[in-house]
Amino acid sequence: MKIIAALRNFSRAWRGGELGLLGFSLCLAVVIVTGIAGFSERLSGAMTQQSHQFLAADRVLKTSRSVADDWLSEAANRGIHTASVVSFRSMIAVGDDMQLASIRAVSDNYPLIGELGVSDTAFGEVELVGRGPQTGEIWLDSRLMALLNLAVGDEVGLGEASFTLSRALLSEPDRGGMNEMLAPRAMINTRDLAATEVVQAGSLVRYRYLFAGNAEQLDAYSVWLTPQLNAGQRWESLSDGQPALANTLKRAEGYLLLAASLGVALAGAAIALAARRYGDRNTDNVAVMKALGARRRQILNRYIGQLALLAGGAIVLGGLLGYGLQDVLFGSLRGLIDIEIPAPSWRPFAVGAITAVVSTAVFALPPLWRLSKVAPLRVLRRDLADDSDNLLSSGLIGLVGVGLLMWWYSNDLQLSGALLLASLSLGLLAAALVLWLISLARRLTASRSQGALRLALAAIYRRRFANAFQVASFALALMALTTLGVLRSTLLADWQMQLGEDAPNHFLINIQPNEIAPLDAFFQRHQLSNAGLYPMVRGRITHIDQQLLSDIAAIDAGSGNVNREMNLTWAKDLPEDNRLEMGEWWPKVSLADTDTIPVSVEQDFAEKLHIQLGSVLTFDLGGQKLNAEVSSIRSLDWSSMRPNFYFIFPPESLEKYAGSYITSFYLAAGDKQLLTELLRAFPTVTLIEIDAVIKQMSTVVSQVSAAIGLVLFLVVVCALLVSVANVQASLDSRLQENAILRTLGASRKLIASGLILEFAAVGLLAGLLAALGSNIALFGVQRWALDMDAVWHGEVFLTVPLVGAITMAATGWFYCRTVLTTPPLLVLGRL
Amino acid sequence: MIRVQDLCKTVTSGAQELAILRGINLEIKAGESAAIIGVSGAGKSTLLGLLAGLDNASSGAIYLNGQNISVMTEDQRASLRAKHVGFVFQSFQLLPGLTALENVMLPLELSGRPGAAVKAKIFLDKVGLAERGHHYPRQLSGGEQQRVALARAFAVEPDILFADEPTGNLDEHTGQRIIELLFELNSGSETTLVLVTHELPLARRCERQFVMHDGILSEEFHRESAGSQGRSALGTL
Repeated sequence: MKIIAALRNFSRAWRGGELGLLGFSLCLAVVIVTGIAGFSERLSGAMTQQSHQFLAADRVLKTSRSVADDWLSEAANRGIHTASVVSFRSMIAVGDDMQLASIRAVSDNYPLIGELGVSDTAFGEVELVGRGPQTGEIWLDSRLMALLNLAVGDEVGLGEASFTLSRALLSEPDRGGMNEMLAPRAMINTRDLAATEVVQAGSLVRYRYLFAGNAEQLDAYSVWLTPQLNAGQRWESLSDGQPALANTLKRAEGYLLLAASLGVALAGAAIALAARRYGDRNTDNVAVMKALGARRRQILNRYIGQLALLAGGAIVLGGLLGYGLQDVLFGSLRGLIDIEIPAPSWRPFAVGAITAVVSTAVFALPPLWRLSKVAPLRVLRRDLADDSDNLLSSGLIGLVGVGLLMWWYSNDLQLSGALLLASLSLGLLAAALVLWLISLARRLTASRSQGALRLALAAIYRRRFANAFQVASFALALMALTTLGVLRSTLLADWQMQLGEDAPNHFLINIQPNEIAPLDAFFQRHQLSNAGLYPMVRGRITHIDQQLLSDIAAIDAGSGNVNREMNLTWAKDLPEDNRLEMGEWWPKVSLADTDTIPVSVEQDFAEKLHIQLGSVLTFDLGGQKLNAEVSSIRSLDWSSMRPNFYFIFPPESLEKYAGSYITSFYLAAGDKQLLTELLRAFPTVTLIEIDAVIKQMSTVVSQVSAAIGLVLFLVVVCALLVSVANVQASLDSRLQENAILRTLGASRKLIASGLILEFAAVGLLAGLLAALGSNIALFGVQRWALDMDAVWHGEVFLTVPLVGAITMAATGWFYCRTVLTTPPLLVLGRL
Repeated sequence: MIRVQDLCKTVTSGAQELAILRGINLEIKAGESAAIIGVSGAGKSTLLGLLAGLDNASSGAIYLNGQNISVMTEDQRASLRAKHVGFVFQSFQLLPGLTALENVMLPLELSGRPGAAVKAKIFLDKVGLAERGHHYPRQLSGGEQQRVALARAFAVEPDILFADEPTGNLDEHTGQRIIELLFELNSGSETTLVLVTHELPLARRCERQFVMHDGILSEEFHRESAGSQGRSALGTL
């Protein structure tokens, strides 16, 4: 019975047309949250999925020996797919020609995730395939085919076995680090491995076992496996293997969640405004009902029942539309990205539902709760003041609600705290500034102003408390837009800088000193810009200040980064993109006069090893000891795709240790045929194609920026809704005021100018506040959430107030048209 | 039925205290009709609001049906209104979102009485608007709206009906028809009628007539004590 009564009440209230705006705002909040939550969840799922292609699996076990069969059968029992890759170096033979190759023997189901890029010709069109070579087949790197002058169909020897070259191998999802790429790739099937007789006891062989399954299966397997691993075995997930990529994904996810939080805050403001208007419009109804004998509880039941039904409807409708929105978002991304989107889950729907319930409770309930306190005496005395209207407590409830939602979305107290702090300071500033404006307006109206300006100022003064709210909420909308906009361009600029248009995309190593001049000539002939030729000597650091590295307690000597051979170089001048942080570049001391030669150390590495200016480092260069004193510390950009070095020595200091040279250069995709010519001319030089790696990273960046653009659009929709709700909330009183003004002889033009000026002033003020607030928010977000350097953005103090004034004036004008078009008599007749 | 003892209402305006009602004493028996007249600002509507329990008095006591409403909470007074009191207002006060029929059903639903729709239709029929039940207030004329308000007031069969300037927003002719309808509906019930008005024809239809002047109430005419020949003192107003 109660439900029927509630439904009946609801349908009556709905017919009245006043629940519409409230329901629309609530529904939009659900649409946006469900849309963004679902979109970001699925997009990040897709991006994680794609980035797992870098591993060709979800998890990888790296080991120098084959593992016990029961490790793999255990994985199979748990429903996890496995594949194996055996890597070693060997010679590829074609007739009398031999070339060193980095061989991979892969099982039938390799790769578990991602695809192999192959072609029928060297450096040809890429075709993606989901599995490796069949038995009897061999796939070779394009440059190996160029070096050996091979074509598909030729016979190739590897060890004791013979293979048919069936494909040119252009890309592998898990091509791996530079060490693996030093020699060109050849790929065969694991089942042919024994026949080659290449892998013998004592051979240097590396094994990669690939695992793919769902997160629970893999986590459980991790728990089972990890205690059994020995020192030489490494169990890797994406974040271990590709820290830079994992960071990019984390940033993107944080960014999308941020947008969702701001969207909810905006929708919340719209809900609060709509609920306020609904409450105001029902004040007289409640007074009548109370006069007719309704108790407070009955009033509350009635309105809470309406809200519950409204929220229920918004959850269902908004949830469905939110799913639709996800499809629209992915649809618009389809041309940009080439990834498989995971199926939708129930979680975004739940997020939308909880958001609707919380938003209703914190934004819509307070005005309706106040409604239950309306004095029944209002039926006799309409002028009775409604003194229960408490903006401060409503605002606080809303703030806490949004804060809790943000915390829940982001699962990050710091991030939501920083945003909330900015919102709070913005709210306080808005209140203070609006008060200041009121006193200013009073003074101006009293003395100089006239006409439209006087009307506008009077209107702002009359609605001063509503205006405080209006300015604060519009400022929040603008702040969100500004923050997102600036952050987007900052992030993109950050990435663009890392992956510049003409960043070097090919490395050449193993360049012999006698090849330097002809190589330079080659570059000049083909107008290829290169990063300069750097000499390179392999060496290992053994002592710091005569103390054995492994004896220094503060250093994790087991860490692979410290205890390995590194590339040392020498240079006369500081490399272009390096920056001297401490010390000086080559002190003017003749090398002949001292035993200790100076060395410049990269900053992060110096910090990691607690190396300071003046520390004496001992290097082992192929069995020979070398002492060097740290004379400077440099910082550099590792993602510049140029040859970068931890240690740089003065010219001539390392020449006796003999080495080779390294360079990097940029080659446009259409000029790939030059590579064949290059390799023919310099057969001993090793080529590494970085552009494949760059392309993978660019894809991720473009996905992320496209997603950001779309999310930005959703926040614009939210901001517009807030403005509309703002204007609609004041429509009744405006109709009355302007009807009276027009009855008294004010022209339409005067009223129209007054309206535009009033809204423009509100927008301008909100814009100024937003510019300040966004700078505060940006500082917090960049500093703590995104781990970037915080920068002051002065330009927004000009653009945002301007945009605010224009947008607000246009929106205000559009929704206040009725004020001008409704005949005054009609309005006054209703009074 | 209605008994008022030493009723005072004082409001504070800035630093000043303003006495609106000064020691009102009044007794109206069940089934009687009483009119309160007076100039604007005399305190008529304030007295009506207090009698109906819409506001709290500063001092004194009001008894409706023998119950002291001055000591009741707002909700207790609302319950009492739902069971025993009907209202007619100057500006009709129909809920704009509800149809005529739903407006009449509203107090019946609030007091939880069964058969609200049937009863509401009967009363709409009594005021001659049976065919207009599904119209919204904005689709009705002022006179029709007030007829719906009358149907709403009588549908709960109240013991007491308060009317605040029921013809104040209507032209003379329509006002006259509303007065006729009001007394016609009232004659069929034992409802006590208390109305505030400055329309003399309406006041003269009541058995008792009170004048409110500067917060003090005095009885100018009582049909029972004046006998059948009695003439209303209001004629001189």
